[in-house]
Amino acid sequence: MVRFKSRYLLCEVCVPERNSLQLLDERAIHHTLRAAVNRAHGDYGSALFNIGVNVKYLNALTGVVFIRCRKAHYRLIWSALPFITHLEDRGQTQNVQCFFNCIHVGGTIKTSQKFLAQYNRQQLHRMLLDCNTDAEKQHVRRALLSCSVGNVKREEADDEEGSDDDDE
Amino acid sequence: MEEPTTFERHVYKNASVYHYMKISLDLENGKRSFSDAQFKQLIISALKELYGEVGAAFPFDLLKFDPSSLKAILRVYNKGLVKLWSALTLLGSYQNEACAFRVIQVSPFLLALSGNSRELQFGESLTS
Repeated sequence: MVRFKSRYLLCEVCVPERNSLQLLDERAIHHTLRAAVNRAHGDYGSALFNIGVNVKYLNALTGVVFIRCRKAHYRLIWSALPFITHLEDRGQTQNVQCFFNCIHVGGTIKTSQKFLAQYNRQQLHRMLLDCNTDAEKQHVRRALLSCSVGNVKREEADDEEGSDDDDE
Repeated sequence: MEEPTTFERHVYKNASVYHYMKISLDLENGKRSFSDAQFKQLIISALKELYGEVGAAFPFDLLKFDPSSLKAILRVYNKGLVKLWSALTLLGSYQNEACAFRVIQVSPFLLALSGNSRELQFGESLTS
């Protein structure tokens, strides 16, 4: 049994204004990434980029991106990530200033997803310390509880699709 | 009675950290004047095209350059030899003029470039 091994780069897109995250789409990210790899690694990099790199998942609300690439040359793609300074939108002529923060490199979508859940929990704990008054704590608690189960279920279904892709 | 000389055997495996390349530049429309800086710039541009900014940053030296025959001797670290060689091979044009780099000799020892058996010229007496 032989299979192509992949690496999944779990990245966080950091933008100055949160509203501009809504403008993101997978194609724009793919395009930007290709330009960055081409600049840093030339034609050779572009050729490696063409095989097996795709944007698996994009959460436009939280700015989380999964990038899949071949294991053999993930370092090349990885090394081009810090050189991205803005996203080019084809539709809108405006450029979105951003940078990519690579928070995890995983072998499967599943481990990356687990890491993401753990990471978000960690971030939440960190931010809860900043709550000074009880009112703020209550507000956060209510916001957490108001997350409807329907949304969560839909997300789980999406994630399962993701791990099915991984087995191919 | 003299003691027999003791033999010591030294085996060098990749003793040199450098490789030396002897190259020449062929231009489509004959010769033109090149300065050594222009020549190195041409090689760097070839590297940049194929390997991007990261590739253009790797160190190599132009040791000797002969402007009349456009032959040069380069020194590269072993690690960058393949990159440099492939970039030289894939360079196709200089200022919209077709050109090509010919790699004449490659060796880890500079002394080896002093003679080339392929360009050996026999004296008149031997050939006639």
